[in-house]
Amino acid sequence: MRMKYMIDRRAFMGLTAAAGMAAGVLAMAPTARAAEDATTDIVLGGSIPLTGVFAFAGEGIHAGIQDYVQIVNDAGGIEGRMLKYVPEDTAYKVDASVAAFNKITSQYHTNLYYGDSTAFSKTINPELERAGTMIMAGASFASELNDPEKYPLQFIPGPDYTEMIGILLKYIAKEKPGAKVAFVHSDTEFGRDPIAKGTEQASALGLDVVETIVTPPGSVDVSTEVLKLRRARPDYTIFHGYVLAPIPEFITQAKQMGMESKFMGTFWSMDNSMVMKMGEAGDGFMGVMPYNYYYDTSGDAPMLAKIREIRPEYQSTAYMQGFLTTMLMTEAIKRTLQDGKELTGANMKAALNSIRDFDTGGIIGVPISIPGNSIPVGRIYKADMAEKKMIPASDWISLGKTGE
Amino acid sequence: MRIGTAKTSYLADEALFDTAVQRRWMVALLAALVLFPLFAGPYWLYLGCLVAINVASATGLNILTGFTGLVSLGQAAFMGVGAYTVAWLEINLGTPFLLNLIIGGCSASLIGMVVGAPSLRVKGLYLAIATIAASVILHFLFANWTAVTGGASGLTMPPATFFGTPLDQPGKLYWVIMPITVLMVLGAANLFRTRVGRAFIAVRDRDISAEVLGIPLLRTKLTSFALSSFYAGVAGGMWAYFFRVITPESFPLVMSIFFLAAIIVGGMGTILGGILGATFMTMVPEALKLIVGGLSPWLPDAVALLSPVRTIVFGALIVGFLIFEPRGLAEAWRRLRRFFHLWPFKT
Repeated sequence: MRMKYMIDRRAFMGLTAAAGMAAGVLAMAPTARAAEDATTDIVLGGSIPLTGVFAFAGEGIHAGIQDYVQIVNDAGGIEGRMLKYVPEDTAYKVDASVAAFNKITSQYHTNLYYGDSTAFSKTINPELERAGTMIMAGASFASELNDPEKYPLQFIPGPDYTEMIGILLKYIAKEKPGAKVAFVHSDTEFGRDPIAKGTEQASALGLDVVETIVTPPGSVDVSTEVLKLRRARPDYTIFHGYVLAPIPEFITQAKQMGMESKFMGTFWSMDNSMVMKMGEAGDGFMGVMPYNYYYDTSGDAPMLAKIREIRPEYQSTAYMQGFLTTMLMTEAIKRTLQDGKELTGANMKAALNSIRDFDTGGIIGVPISIPGNSIPVGRIYKADMAEKKMIPASDWISLGKTGE
Repeated sequence: MRIGTAKTSYLADEALFDTAVQRRWMVALLAALVLFPLFAGPYWLYLGCLVAINVASATGLNILTGFTGLVSLGQAAFMGVGAYTVAWLEINLGTPFLLNLIIGGCSASLIGMVVGAPSLRVKGLYLAIATIAASVILHFLFANWTAVTGGASGLTMPPATFFGTPLDQPGKLYWVIMPITVLMVLGAANLFRTRVGRAFIAVRDRDISAEVLGIPLLRTKLTSFALSSFYAGVAGGMWAYFFRVITPESFPLVMSIFFLAAIIVGGMGTILGGILGATFMTMVPEALKLIVGGLSPWLPDAVALLSPVRTIVFGALIVGFLIFEPRGLAEAWRRLRRFFHLWPFKT
């Protein structure tokens, strides 16, 4: 007997057309809601990579923003005004991110925006300046964005990549003066970002950059590169521009060859769950972190306690990034409103730059200031595979404005 | 109901739009395109421009793959050549944007011909691999020819200007991008009424027979590559003016796959297929986002919960079209038209 309800071409086309019409109808709904909210709510729009290659971070960022917005609203909002978070998935594609920006800003009077990539931050900058109504931060720590003249309405919720390398080098110079350093970076804009300036910083600190190795992002076969690294015999090897691969493979092969170099990473390769995926090879892996980890209990950290109360399971470093970004944006709004000023991009950025010795509730272990577009503070952590945790290997390290 | 189309001359027989109804619909479509910016908000204007750019590039790929039968996965790289050329000209020489777009198209066209040279010896999957290899080389140049391309951080360019007015908004750029795309699509449609276009089709259908009939294979294939790459170059140039930041990661291989998928879903070997396919591939993810967003009042955090589902639905829709409409959306459109030809007497 034939299946009576088997889908045929006509049914498929009908369903597709119906879905199209539903999309049209639903597209109208947010406009009506926007009109209701425009006068009271403070809107934080977000181009969030909830799918695609960066989804591992996007999910954490989304949760971090959501939670801080909830905390603010539960406490009565900012000067009585509620914070409204409007996210859109971008799949980490620039065209989709710009589409999300246009969609959100045309539906809501947007005051704050979270962007998902360096390319998006650069692309949207002229529009941000033209509109002049919002400030923006995002997932990018690109050094290029750390220029208040070129990017007057943006900021980086942590040190930029050059500053991250600077923090690592400062630590190395203190631990082992005159040490030999090697850079291993991906062949991407992200990977190349801090290398030239990092090499200069190393020289200034009396360190010797003995090798710079470039690989494709996520490459698998790195045996040639490991041989090159072994010949250079660095005391420290700094990876940048990767999330995970090929770092574990590099370390495993290097250790098998008897290398005693200490391996280090930057923010996006420092998530605890990611590092633990390295297995035994990752023991002793070090890197720079701008934030405390979810499980950190040292010092006075009420916000970390609050996060653990809201979400009892481990939250990623991306979560902390989203959480802190929202906290700083909220603080900028609060200061602007308290000064009786209009919520323009320039006023909010000035308010953000007025932040001095600000207590983040333990998200960052020291009071922070934002004189420019970044927060040049970080701490070195080291992987302890027995405890399955990243543990502090240094105190908090602050850089000067120039990253020197 | 239409019962027939009487033609009294060869000219009428060759006309692009051969019935009065078709001509009236075309006028209505053009009027809609002209009136669109007057009613649409920034989001829809942005999408309108993006669809137009993708239609221009997909039409170019359709000339090569759909009409000439040469599979290419280098379309994004050719767009990159056009984009970098336009950006370099705009930044360093400040030449008029229309001239820049033409030069961008020509430079992509030259590169396209070089890449197309192996097409005389290889075809099908082998040619696809050859074009992937070419796009890898081009991406290497984009990332490492720092003096011209700005290296890994790319180029940031000023907006196009028209008599001193900066075209820095989708609403302004629409008046540049949409007319150019319409002209390119009309040009492609007319191409297949000429000797050159028919030679492309002959090569696609049976290249040996075409050669026996006196069609020079190498010249025809290279012409097809050149034309296709020209379209890609101009589309890349428009992309550059639209986003104004060009990096080596702006035109990845997956973008070439996007265009190939667009013409397959739309219908290979038909001009309408390129238009419908590019529109479908650009708009369906956005439409699905609207559905997900619309569910937010009833489903808290619908964006996070349903985004992965949305990706699966988009993939399933493409598979669905390939199964239920293997000749593409253009064929579905033709069937719809035939239905109305006989309506209301036969449904």
